[in-house]
Amino acid sequence: MKTNQKKAWLFLAPTIIFVTFFSIYPILRAFVMSFQSGSLINLSWSGLSNYQYLFKDPEFWLAIKNTALYALISVPIGLAISILLAWIIFSKVKHKSFFETTFFMPYVTSTIAIGIVFRYIFNGDYGLLNFVLRCLHLPAPIWIDDPSMSLTTIIIFGIWTSLAFNIVILMGALRNIDPNFYTVADMYGASGAEKFWRITMPELIPTLAFLLTMNIIGAFKVYTSVYALFNGQAGVGNSGTTAVFYIYNKFQIVGTPGVAMAATVVLFLIILFITFLQRKMMKKIGEN
Amino acid sequence: MKRIRWGVVLGYIILVIFAIITVFPFIYMILGGLMSFQETTSIPPTIIPKHFEWGNYAKVFAQAPFARYFFNTFVTASITTIVSLFNSLLGAFAMVNLQFKGKRFIQIILLSLLMVPGEAIIFTNYNTIARMGLLNTYIGLVLPFLTSIFYMYYLQSYFGSISSTIYKAAMIDGASDWEYIWKILVPMSKGGLFTVGLLSFISGWNSFLWPLLVTNEDSMRLLNNGLSAFASDAGSETQLQLAAATLTVLPILILYLIFRKQIIRGVVRNDLKG
Repeated sequence: MKTNQKKAWLFLAPTIIFVTFFSIYPILRAFVMSFQSGSLINLSWSGLSNYQYLFKDPEFWLAIKNTALYALISVPIGLAISILLAWIIFSKVKHKSFFETTFFMPYVTSTIAIGIVFRYIFNGDYGLLNFVLRCLHLPAPIWIDDPSMSLTTIIIFGIWTSLAFNIVILMGALRNIDPNFYTVADMYGASGAEKFWRITMPELIPTLAFLLTMNIIGAFKVYTSVYALFNGQAGVGNSGTTAVFYIYNKFQIVGTPGVAMAATVVLFLIILFITFLQRKMMKKIGEN
Repeated sequence: MKRIRWGVVLGYIILVIFAIITVFPFIYMILGGLMSFQETTSIPPTIIPKHFEWGNYAKVFAQAPFARYFFNTFVTASITTIVSLFNSLLGAFAMVNLQFKGKRFIQIILLSLLMVPGEAIIFTNYNTIARMGLLNTYIGLVLPFLTSIFYMYYLQSYFGSISSTIYKAAMIDGASDWEYIWKILVPMSKGGLFTVGLLSFISGWNSFLWPLLVTNEDSMRLLNNGLSAFASDAGSETQLQLAAATLTVLPILILYLIFRKQIIRGVVRNDLKG
């Protein structure tokens, strides 16, 4: 017997209405606007001109380059540190929940507020970081005010921020590994390193693939942390500009929403592509 | 005789170093907010101020309407949480317990929308809100966030673990769907609802880009926007910036320390399924 309980639509109505107006409509609208030019109240069709402008704009390429570099450097380093820390917490120490609670703190706190603290710590003259570096006779770069250092500073802050989520998810995955695997390995006299590479890592692969995707997507959307570090700017002389910064700038400040939406479509496609790659990767892993 | 296990010792050393790197910025923020101006710029840097300058906080409140920011943030985060929880609850109930034509279609649409990054729609949403004349209003601040596919999906997996025979039994006993939701479903999934509520409130509290777009009047700003504006205005007065940052972070940090177990468990569950 097939039932069709129409009342379901009543319960779904609020969700469907809000989703239609504030998720589906804006995607279509962004897509349409990327082919229009003029100000927000006076848009007219202009074909592909926004995309042409975009691909010729050196600032756009700088934003894409910065964003891609940020993703390619901060994500693997952050993930590697997270694996190390999660593995140590899981296998070596007592007080697991104490360390978990500690490492997760940055996830719930405001990026803007912490960015202010980091700006202070990174200060070239009286910042704590450079004081420590000088004490160790290491070079003390001008983290915030030197355009060539902007991206490095953003990456360091990005890694610091990303650990929280990664560690907690990895801890969850580590707890799910069947403890019998380790018991058997112990019986055969496996060393700690062998257990890590032969049991832990293979078992973590689905989680790592998931985290890799989430981190890369997150990295492509980086905005708030840059805003916080450089006090509302994208670094000195826009040196640390990112994709979302570019979109915000074109949309709100320069007043060319068409170009902003063309950039949004490009960013959206990049993110979709990464998600697609992850699906493929997961499928491959599932088959093995 | 007990051998010292060097692996464990090394493990502790690495953990402690990283734990300090993680926690230090928070401690330094709180301490820095209590320093005098000279102490914030001294070399070598001051870690613990000689006198706690509580007056910094008075100055922060005098220079910017932080009380107002608190109120605005609390109101918007609460409304968003309550309404989106309510909507997700109803939606998740329908998707789990009811059979209807088009269910699969709705599920597919919602799941694909989960992949859409918020940054891709936030600017066109701004345009919608602006045309509705809702800039600088509470409604404008909350409207696009009154439903959450993410939380609905989360609740679906939660409700799915409650046996459907309970629903059938309730129906045979003559309960209406509405009664089932409030008398059985909600009490049985209190933990899940509470966690979703917490996560939603925290993300509402920390929201930045959306309120930056839809508010430009000082009286309508939220905490994080007020804080970043204050940080630019206060210029070199680092101790005031840090005091203001402390004000923003502390309520959530306290909430986090109280409910750490629920929050961490909630995040792990959320994202492995998502």
